[in-house]
Amino acid sequence: MHQPKPLRLAIVPALALLCGIASAAPVKVGVLETLSGPQASSGQAYRAAVRYAIDQINAAGGWNGEPVQLLEYDNQGGPAGAADKLKAAAADGVQLIVQGASSAIGGQITEDVRKYNLRNPGKEMVYLNVGAEALELTGEKCNFHHFRFGGDPQVRTKALVGAMKQANALGTRVYAINQNYSWGQDMEKAIVDNAAAGGYQVVEKTLHDVNKVQDFAPYVAKIGASKADSVLTGNWSNDLLLLMKASKSAGLKARFGTVYLDQPGNLANAGDLAIGHFVVQTFNPEAGGAEGERFVNDYKAKTGHEPVFIEPQTVFGMAMVADALKRTKPENGALNVNAFAKALETTTIKTPMGEMSMRAADHQAQLPMVVSTVTKDARFKVDGTDMGFKPVKRFSAQEASTPAQASCAMKRPG
Amino acid sequence: MDQIIVSLMNGVIYGLLLFMVSAGLTLIFGMMGVLNFAHASFYMLGAYFAYTLQGVIGFWLALVVSPVLVGLVGVVVERFFLRRVHHHGHAHELLLTFGLSFIVAESIKLFFGNFPVDYRIPASLDVSAFSVGGAQYPLYRLLMGGIAIAMFVLIYLLLTHTRVGIVVRSAIYKPRMAEALGHNVPLVFMGVFGVGAALAGLAGAVAGAFYTTNPNMALELGVMVFVVVVVGGLGSLGGAMLASLLIGVVTSLAVAVDRSLADLFALFGAGDWATGVGGLMTLKVSSLSATIPFALMLLILLVRPSGLMGEKG
Repeated sequence: MHQPKPLRLAIVPALALLCGIASAAPVKVGVLETLSGPQASSGQAYRAAVRYAIDQINAAGGWNGEPVQLLEYDNQGGPAGAADKLKAAAADGVQLIVQGASSAIGGQITEDVRKYNLRNPGKEMVYLNVGAEALELTGEKCNFHHFRFGGDPQVRTKALVGAMKQANALGTRVYAINQNYSWGQDMEKAIVDNAAAGGYQVVEKTLHDVNKVQDFAPYVAKIGASKADSVLTGNWSNDLLLLMKASKSAGLKARFGTVYLDQPGNLANAGDLAIGHFVVQTFNPEAGGAEGERFVNDYKAKTGHEPVFIEPQTVFGMAMVADALKRTKPENGALNVNAFAKALETTTIKTPMGEMSMRAADHQAQLPMVVSTVTKDARFKVDGTDMGFKPVKRFSAQEASTPAQASCAMKRPG
Repeated sequence: MDQIIVSLMNGVIYGLLLFMVSAGLTLIFGMMGVLNFAHASFYMLGAYFAYTLQGVIGFWLALVVSPVLVGLVGVVVERFFLRRVHHHGHAHELLLTFGLSFIVAESIKLFFGNFPVDYRIPASLDVSAFSVGGAQYPLYRLLMGGIAIAMFVLIYLLLTHTRVGIVVRSAIYKPRMAEALGHNVPLVFMGVFGVGAALAGLAGAVAGAFYTTNPNMALELGVMVFVVVVVGGLGSLGGAMLASLLIGVVTSLAVAVDRSLADLFALFGAGDWATGVGGLMTLKVSSLSATIPFALMLLILLVRPSGLMGEKG
């Protein structure tokens, strides 16, 4: 037991240092997105927004004096890949999972997170849903560790119908065409539910395969035969673009009300045919005023492109996360996820669009919406075209809100 | 009635487009005995070449030049890649084309970005040809159909009525014998591969403007093209034509059918039961239209594995 004095002296601070490392665990955020394959462009957009938000958190000092770590996992575009990578993330000690592209993947993640939390009390994870908008995620599948920062079909359709009606662009005959999975089915239901409020009749409903249809001409023939005044759709990506191109070439007069017309590349590819159609958004730089412009410029400086499509809602969602983190005190140097989730439930922040808060009952963010139309006199042009989205009507979080679903029976930790 | 006519026309023209892409694939298969996984990539290359060129040399010239370029790419692939692995057997050739399809897709993302590009039909062609029951029928669709039919007739005449056609057919069926008779069989193979690729390129250049030109277009159409070739019979040009039309028309007509299995059961008084079962029973045919070709392929493989017009293998 004879040790030279200097060594003995060194052991004490070394031990202290080790203890310090063991207890002060940095918060790990895992992005579990589709980063490869045909739908990678959406996943990469979410990733860019999360990176931007995490950089902001770290620029403001991180959490508990340490930078928040961002880890990235590629779910390869399917629920199976997501389930796999979620296990990897859990093994890496990730406490906050972020995902947004595809409700099918979101459904898998929220169930897996719920089960994981049941089996591993004290090591919980939170699923921060920044864009999977199917109703079931805040309905039958709602759970304490899931938070949604995007809209949902009811909120989106209510705003879209309200604004289009006010702009006299809705008409009385509406055709609902959607993709045949949870999101599209919910959109179809929402379009039917809003018929009375919008003063229209749903002349026909169509569900089609997701991203498999090349030729939309047969669908357009069906829309034409139904004599619809407007077409409401939750379609995204190619399913939206091909549908609109096919309607243009068939000379269809119907107006389109969409959710994802602002996806990058859409306007460039659609060209003039997009003019006069509507999109319901969570952010529009023109509606955001000076604050909005500052956000757009800052985002562009950091990421190299303007925040479009689902990027703003992701940044705002992560801003709520940052706010909740700030109010969560470390326990033994680590983040207590349940305490963080409780803080997140009571978060209210200011975004360029207005006040945004979290509803504790079903963990659905209450966020302002804006309905815009494609025109050449929009202030901010997109996709390098001479067109942009001009706001038609703004909805505060309160106006846009729809009631929490009765099917949500949330079990809170004791 | 009007709607049925429009649906039929839509289906036929979509079928003709499928034929344009699958013609080259089935020719190449007949020759090498290997499915070319990169074939749909040639379709995508055609669209991107035409997109790049149209700004410089105009739409029509781009439509001519880009298939030639794609054909040259095809020649290079055959001469410097496929020929080298040929003696290792089919598995190697298959893997090579599989890898190639990834390389093409990723390079396109690298150069053009991972979203649709601005490739549209010129305004002068963006008009309706005639109208049926209030709906206009786009001229460009007729043009696509016309090009496909012209292509079919040309290839058919070339293969059956010219000396080149005879040499090609003999090189395909009995390569050794053709070689013994003094024909340059490797050159023929290279030529056929190049022409097959060029045909896919032409289809891409024509269809890319009408649909969308994006890095996934190879993936989206590629699967359907394989279905066409399997249903039509591997190596049979006529079979590819028949299968393309069949698939085009069936998917198009199915969209208009809002019936489900439950309605069928209702005819026998079991409708309530079927609706109660739910699931497959209540799925509308229209929502399955893009899946029907795959069911058709399964059926063909069960009943007639060599395809509609394929030879007994």
